[in-house]
Order: sequence, then C-alpha cells, then structure tokens
Amino acid sequence: MLALIILFLTALVTLFVGFAKKPLLTLSLSVLGLLGTGAALICQWYHPSDFLSSYEGVNMDAFAILFSLVAIIFTILIILSGFGQFKSRLDHTADYIGLLIFSLFGAIIMVSFQDMFMFFLGLEILSIPIYVMAGAKKDDPLSSESSLKYFITGAFATGILLFGIAWLYGATGTFKIYEIQQFFMEAEQISSLAYVGLLFILSAFLFKIGAAPFHFWSPDVYDGAPAPVTGFMAAVVKLGAFGAFIKLFTIAFSELYDFWMPALTFLAILTMFVGNLSAIRQVRFKRLLAYSSIAHVGYSLITMVVLTDNSALNLWYYLFSYGFATIALITVQMIVNDREDRIEAFKGLGRANPFVGFVAVVALLALAGVPPLMGFFGKFLIFADAIAQNPALIAVALLNSGIGIFYYLRTVIVILQKPGVDNEIEQSEFKTTPLQLIVLGICVLAMLFGGGLLMIH
Amino acid sequence: MVLATMLKSGVSLEFYVILATILFTIGVLGVLIRKNAIIILMCVELMLNAVNLLMVAFSTYHGTGDAQVFVFFIMVVAAAEATVGLSILVLLYRNRKTVDVGMFNKLKG
Repeated sequence: MLALIILFLTALVTLFVGFAKKPLLTLSLSVLGLLGTGAALICQWYHPSDFLSSYEGVNMDAFAILFSLVAIIFTILIILSGFGQFKSRLDHTADYIGLLIFSLFGAIIMVSFQDMFMFFLGLEILSIPIYVMAGAKKDDPLSSESSLKYFITGAFATGILLFGIAWLYGATGTFKIYEIQQFFMEAEQISSLAYVGLLFILSAFLFKIGAAPFHFWSPDVYDGAPAPVTGFMAAVVKLGAFGAFIKLFTIAFSELYDFWMPALTFLAILTMFVGNLSAIRQVRFKRLLAYSSIAHVGYSLITMVVLTDNSALNLWYYLFSYGFATIALITVQMIVNDREDRIEAFKGLGRANPFVGFVAVVALLALAGVPPLMGFFGKFLIFADAIAQNPALIAVALLNSGIGIFYYLRTVIVILQKPGVDNEIEQSEFKTTPLQLIVLGICVLAMLFGGGLLMIH
Repeated sequence: MVLATMLKSGVSLEFYVILATILFTIGVLGVLIRKNAIIILMCVELMLNAVNLLMVAFSTYHGTGDAQVFVFFIMVVAAAEATVGLSILVLLYRNRKTVDVGMFNKLKG
C-alpha cells in the first residue's frame, strides 16, 4: 500500500512541477518517485505487513510485487526514451509523464486486487489516461483517430466487463475473488448465470489484451499513437491486463477450468495465426509491432490454457522479455523517426549507427525467440511447461514461431543493408539523445543476459 | 385486478433482468451499428446504465449492499469516461470537421 501512495504522490507532484516549465526537473522527480515506489515494493517483499495492510481490497503478495516491479521498470524506460518527444511541447511535458504514471498506478492495482471493486477501478485508471495519451499529438488527425478508436473499443469492453461482473454477482452474491472461488467449490450445481458472466468477462479481457477475434483495434491504435505511448501500451498495459487475467481466472474461476480451457485453447491458436500471418505483409513498422504483439499474446495465452504451478511465473518472465524487446524497438523507431514510419526507412541503420543497429537486431531476434536471448528463454519456459499436457498446441505454437522468424529476419536484413542509392526514400539522420542510448543499453543488456534470471526462477 | 396483483407481489427479479438485458443489447447494437460518434457514446452510457439496473436488482435479491456501492463506482467512472470521450471527439472534430466514424479510416492495413 505504501508503494501505491508514493506512486500517487509522484504523479501529483509531477503534474504540479509542470508549472515550472523545467522538463529536466520534472523528469528527475518522476523517475525518483518511480524508483522510490520500487524500493517500497522491495521492502514489502521482505516485510509483508505494513500500516495499511488491513485493507482487504488490495493485497501486495509476491505475484503483485513481481508484476508491479516490472511495470515500474518499463515505465521508467519509456519515460526516459520518450523524453525527447515530451520535451518538444514544453507546456505539456509534465502532463505526458504524469498521465503515464497514473496509468501505471492502475496497472499496479490490476495485479494486486482482491475484489471486483478494485479490479474495475484499476482497469479504468489504467485505461483512461491512455485514451488521452493516444491522442497526445493534438494536431495530428491520425493520433486523434487512434485515440477515438481506442476509446470506443475500451469503453465498449468496459461495458461488457461490467455486465459480466453483474451476472457473476447475481450467481454468487459476492465481489471478493476468494469468496467467489469458495462459492464455486461448495456449490452443488453452478447456475448458468455464472457461465454467462464468465463469458462476458472473458471477452472483455480479450478486448483489453488484444487477442483475436477482438484484436482489430490494436494495429490502428498502435500505428496512430505517439511512439512512447505505443511502447507503453505494448509493455505496461498488456502486463497489467494479463496479470489481472491470470489472477482472476486462476483464483475466482479455477473451478470452471474445464469450461473456459477449450475456448482459450482455440483463441490462443487463432490469435497466433492472425498475428503472425498479418504481420508478414506489413510495410509500416509500428503496425508490424502491433501484429507481432498480437502473436505474442497468443503465446502468452498458452500459460493460461495449461495451468501449472509455474504458469504465473512463466507468464511474468515472458512479458518481461517481450517488454524489453518492444521498448528497444520503439526507441529505435523514435531514432529513425520516419514521417510515414516505413520499415524501408531502417535501411542503412546498421552502418550509420552501429550501436543502435545492433540493439535493433538483438531486439528483433529476441522477439523471434533466437537463443541465447531472453525471448528464447521466455518461449522455452512456456513451451516446456505445456508440452506434456498439450503437445498439439505446442506444435502449432512452434509452427507460428517459424512464421514469425520470417518477418523478423526480413526487418533485420533491411537494417543491415547498405544505405539506399535510390533517391525515392530520403535518408533519415538517426539522431539519438543520451537518454535513448541509456535505454537502449539497459534493454540490450537485459536481452543478452536476462537468461540469468532463470537461476532465481 | 392485474394491477392489484402486481402491486401486491412486487416486480420479480426476472423482469429486471430481462429489462436490463434488453437495454444492454440496445446499447451494444447502437455501438456496433450507428455511425455518429456522439450516439455511440450515448449507447456506451446506456450499456453502463443497464449494468447499474442489473446490479441494483441483484443486490436487492441477495439482500447485500455491495452491488449498490458498485453502482456509485460505475457512475463515477462513466462520468470520467464521458468527459474524456467528449474531449477526444472535440479534438477529432477540430482536425477532421466530422463526427461520422465511417470517415475515420486513415489508419488501416
């Protein structure tokens, strides 16, 4: 709880410091606040009870602390790498950073909730700042359009989720997730109301994480939103939504596993194919990232289909590795800064700026799952855990990894090519800021040596 | 006679559930079919209010107050969402001079 309070104060202070119009001050205060939140969470790990732990709605257990720490790391990285863009509009710098921190606040509630009240509030606190942030480029019609698309699908999903929660309440008479679990354990016959509620909640989650067939909004939104916000959506929002997803379904709905498992199996397969097959024909980089994120949602769903004791940790590790790669790629995208965001614009990056080119190649290979990068271990953990229970699903997933390697390698080749001699595409300058180099350095270290985390695992 | 029996027995849960489901369906269909973004926003509100009705009905049925408190949370969030939604709409109207969602098709592929 202390962590949440520090985080909330950080966001408020950030907003007010904005009046001073000193971007560096805003940045350092917010990053300090985020580090403080992380420190408070680590303290909580060693001393689980603090002065507000009697409140039942939010419980910072090990699961919540692990997911929250990762979310905080990602937010810091995104704020650092997007700072160049935030700085360009001096009167809004603090708003951008503050809204991202408020959204992070929602993500932390989403992974630590104990009842539906906090879950719903967390989801909204997570989403509403991102609706605003997606439209942050105020005079760009594409950005506003992506904002509206995200808002309408998000609000629609919220309505569906609430409808599901209402039905579930009708069936069980409680909002607390452990009491719901208890109810299902003791009930002799589960009323159909609960199944209706479960289906509505499931579809709302599929909307939020962007799984097929509810994925159609995500390429458009990723494409139109400003690059740092795209990175935030791919890394932090997905982390929060997945955390809540696995928490709710493994605790509240654990007794109904036989009911939702087949549906989720089918959806995981569909999501992988839709993501990978659509990614092949993309020419714009952020759309490629969006479809690749859909494919990765498919792989992550495997952890939920095959529930073992390690599922939550595997999911955590997978999202961890995925987030680093995505943030690195988004940072590279900001450095390339092509007006139309073409993949072709990456041509010559490897020669013009070897370090950035190297990081981009490593990140793409990590997404493809090439050993010994962190992305490989993420996939390996999930597949190894699931192969005994559901070999067919893993075969499909491996096939999809194969398709994935094709479009990741194609992008790698573009990066390694000589700068184009044809004058159709004017060459970008690949300007970097020191902060972006730091972010890239952290990401590449994590991707290269992140496999070491398995020792703790 | 009919009125008298209704008054005596009270309206049973089923009617609330059916009414809420109908309202929710109207809201969903509105979001999916209508082209005007403002009407879509209204339909989202309709969905949320259908949920409110359902919550209150179930709350009375179970004899607990939780869901009635939940309704207040939903109202607060609905207000926040409407604020953000309308501002996004104003922003988009300034850029594109229309609120027809069919015209917002620059992002695709």
